[in-house]
Amino acid sequence: MARRIGVFVCHCGVNIAGVVDVERVAEELRKYPGVAFATTYQYMCSDPGQNLIRQKIEEENLDAVIIAACSPAMHEETFRSVCKEFFNPYRCEMANIREQCSWVHDKKEATEKAIKLVKATVEKLRGNEDLMPIFVPIEKKCLVIGGGIAGIQAALDIADAGYKVILVEKEASIGGRMAQLSETFPTLDCSQCILTPKMVAVARHPNIKLMAYSEVIDISGYVGNFDVKILKKPRYVDEDACTVCGDCEKACPVIIPNEFDMEKKPRKAIYIPFPQAVPSTYTIDREACLGLAPLTCAQCKDACEANAINYDMQPKIVEERVGAIIVATGYDLYDKNKLVEYGYGEDDDIITSLEFERMLSASGPTGGEIIKPSTGKVPKKVVFIQCAGSRDKQHMPYCSSICCMYTAKHALLYKHHVPDGEAYIFYIDIRATGKNYEEFIARVMEEERINYIRGKVAKIYREGDKIVVWGVDTLTGKKVEIKADLVVLAMAIVGRKETKEIAKLLKVAVDDGNFLKESHPKLKPVEALSRGIYFAGCAQSPKDIPAAVAQASAAASKVLAIFSKDKLEKDPLVAVVDEDRCSGCGVCVSICPYGAMQRQPNGKAKCIEALCEGCGTCAAACPSNNIEMRNYKDEQIEKMIEVIV
Amino acid sequence: MKYWVKKELKPPHGKVYIIKDRCKGCGFCIEFCPQGVLQESEEFNAKGYHPPKLVETDDKKCIGCGFCSLICPEFAIHIEKEEEEKDEKAD
Ligand SMILES: Cc1cc2nc3c(=O)[nH]c(=O)nc-3n(C[C@H](O)[C@H](O)[C@H](O)COP(=O)(O)OP(=O)(O)OC[C@H]3O[C@@H](n4cnc5c(N)ncnc54)[C@H](O)[C@@H]3O)c2cc1C
Ligand code: SF4
Ligand code: SF4
Ligand code: SF4
Ligand code: SF4
Repeated sequence: MARRIGVFVCHCGVNIAGVVDVERVAEELRKYPGVAFATTYQYMCSDPGQNLIRQKIEEENLDAVIIAACSPAMHEETFRSVCKEFFNPYRCEMANIREQCSWVHDKKEATEKAIKLVKATVEKLRGNEDLMPIFVPIEKKCLVIGGGIAGIQAALDIADAGYKVILVEKEASIGGRMAQLSETFPTLDCSQCILTPKMVAVARHPNIKLMAYSEVIDISGYVGNFDVKILKKPRYVDEDACTVCGDCEKACPVIIPNEFDMEKKPRKAIYIPFPQAVPSTYTIDREACLGLAPLTCAQCKDACEANAINYDMQPKIVEERVGAIIVATGYDLYDKNKLVEYGYGEDDDIITSLEFERMLSASGPTGGEIIKPSTGKVPKKVVFIQCAGSRDKQHMPYCSSICCMYTAKHALLYKHHVPDGEAYIFYIDIRATGKNYEEFIARVMEEERINYIRGKVAKIYREGDKIVVWGVDTLTGKKVEIKADLVVLAMAIVGRKETKEIAKLLKVAVDDGNFLKESHPKLKPVEALSRGIYFAGCAQSPKDIPAAVAQASAAASKVLAIFSKDKLEKDPLVAVVDEDRCSGCGVCVSICPYGAMQRQPNGKAKCIEALCEGCGTCAAACPSNNIEMRNYKDEQIEKMIEVIV
Repeated sequence: MKYWVKKELKPPHGKVYIIKDRCKGCGFCIEFCPQGVLQESEEFNAKGYHPPKLVETDDKKCIGCGFCSLICPEFAIHIEKEEEEKDEKAD
């Protein structure tokens, strides 16, 4: 137990000293039992401040230290590492006299409260035990969920650094949305051409185990040691044997819409979503196939010379242990049927932005030709509507961040295809904040002579062959009526519903847009609240490809930082169960937000120290008062309360 | 729904031939046809059974998978596949 405590009161410039009489705090504390020394200093966290602590510990022969300053969330780490040079770091405590005192109280009250807070901290410190950090082993293998550009980039970065990666993709091929795009702003390079080399690199990388057509169905454990179960859905085609000759496809009698082409192009029940798919193999769509059980059709099997088709394939559950998880499950467009004001779902000539991407794509349903879907002719007047579902309290309140840019791209590509056509863009305002983005917009506006109309569209309806778009130009105040051949809606970007399911497995929060919630919006934008789980790409927020790739590399570097150590160090301030007295009621097991309390075979509760965050919920909930928090024991807390009240 | 393609994919087509008097009324073909092309008829054949007939007046929905003839124990039904001649030649 601490016998010679030193108290260091920080001025924090005027933050504390402007309100609290710091000299009086030091003076009062000098008189308090157990305190051997007390002083004040301008900035305790500065180098001279830290040196003052070092010097006084030696001179005054101190064996414990209290820093009365800001929140421990800010500087506990700083001061504990100073003290570690002399004694156990858990002999260093902070009393928060800034956030909980000087910032919220008047002068006189603040000083009184500060004195009490520091005295209470003295009482707590006297009950502290010397603790050693907990070490947790690490499985140096990473799970990446989602094989869009973000997941691909993260997997490649980690694999290149020499660690194993399992990349799980639910669809038949990796590539995600980027594979569906035509050309990409601002440089207009072909999306497939820059993506496919990375897809192939994933397939070839010796450190990446690619599990496409698979889903993560269970996750348990904690940083360094997650246990995951992955369901490998049967393709009914042997990936290695299939030569992608396509004979089966010709033979298959079932014709259904291809999701990859936004359902605007047909495919067969046995299919490959797009020619460059990775893994390169055909897949039987179980739902659409005429009959696997009982087997009725088998035309594809008869046609397959490679003998790659096997109707007896079964779903397989693969279990893996990984040290870290990256979630990169991407985005969807806002549900088109909800935009009744724009008449979607009812008219062939009102389409979404992703449908337009497929139309522009050389491998798409029209082979890259721009058509008016109802007639198949070239549309001479096209209206693009930005913020369809975004920045709208009735739909999604946020900005989808990329629609200004891709709409400018759409209008430009339209003009390249149909030079005598007219393009109109309705916008609220233009947000082009990326590198070279403003220049791109300027080019579209000036060189391509696209008509930008500032204002919102009120109504869209069909009149004969045309779609009439009604709006107001808020710059001139005039009503605008355009009789268009084709209307393209820049739909809001939302997180996928699958993201919500994965988030539930990981006990991570999602917001109203189904985007994953990061630990800190500024300082921890790729981290989940629980350690070892990271986010990349549009699963976290709407973003363009460069931002998705950058975030993926950031997430990968976080994973590599974990993998660079052999063991993880963790704060030992955890819950301790007195097993002899535990009645096995299980309240703590059900209440722990981190899943750290687990029932042993003998029915008694046990704290998995690696998982416990020391929140204390279980200790408060235990009906037999049988759980103790290390260094927050009941006696300590009782004494603190005594001093304060 | 409408596809944006110039040349729609056409499903293959089969012509159904039923040899009524061979049928012994087991109904396998009706049960197993994935397209639901066949149904039991009212009429009696020489053996006194109800042979199958087409649900619709023609066999438009038949995709010529041939499963009916494969499963028929009496070889009472057979299929002639129609080739997609026109398309092939046009290309
Ligand atoms: C119309 C339009 C045009 C665009 N044009 C451009 C452009 O020109 N330039 C640009 O920079 N950006 C553009 N973008 C943005 C670009 O599409 C995204 O930035 C990028 O695709 C994000 O990639 P991602 O990997 O985060 O997500 P996604 O591409 O959505 O990938 C997510 C992947 O995760 C998989 N997945 C989802 N759930 C699970 C699960 N539970 N288990 C396993 N796998 C799962 C999905 O199947 C998918 O493969 C455009 C977007 C739109 C809508
Ligand atoms: S068995 Fe299924 S996938 Fe194969 S040809 Fe028949 S319907 Fe198509
Ligand atoms: S016929 Fe066989 S080898 Fe050819 S694409 Fe189909 S499954 Fe693959
Ligand atoms: S202290 Fe919190 S995290 Fe630790 S076991 Fe108890 S409830 Fe769970
Ligand atoms: S060939 Fe196939 S689709 Fe046609 S009737 Fe026979 S079982 Fe039905």
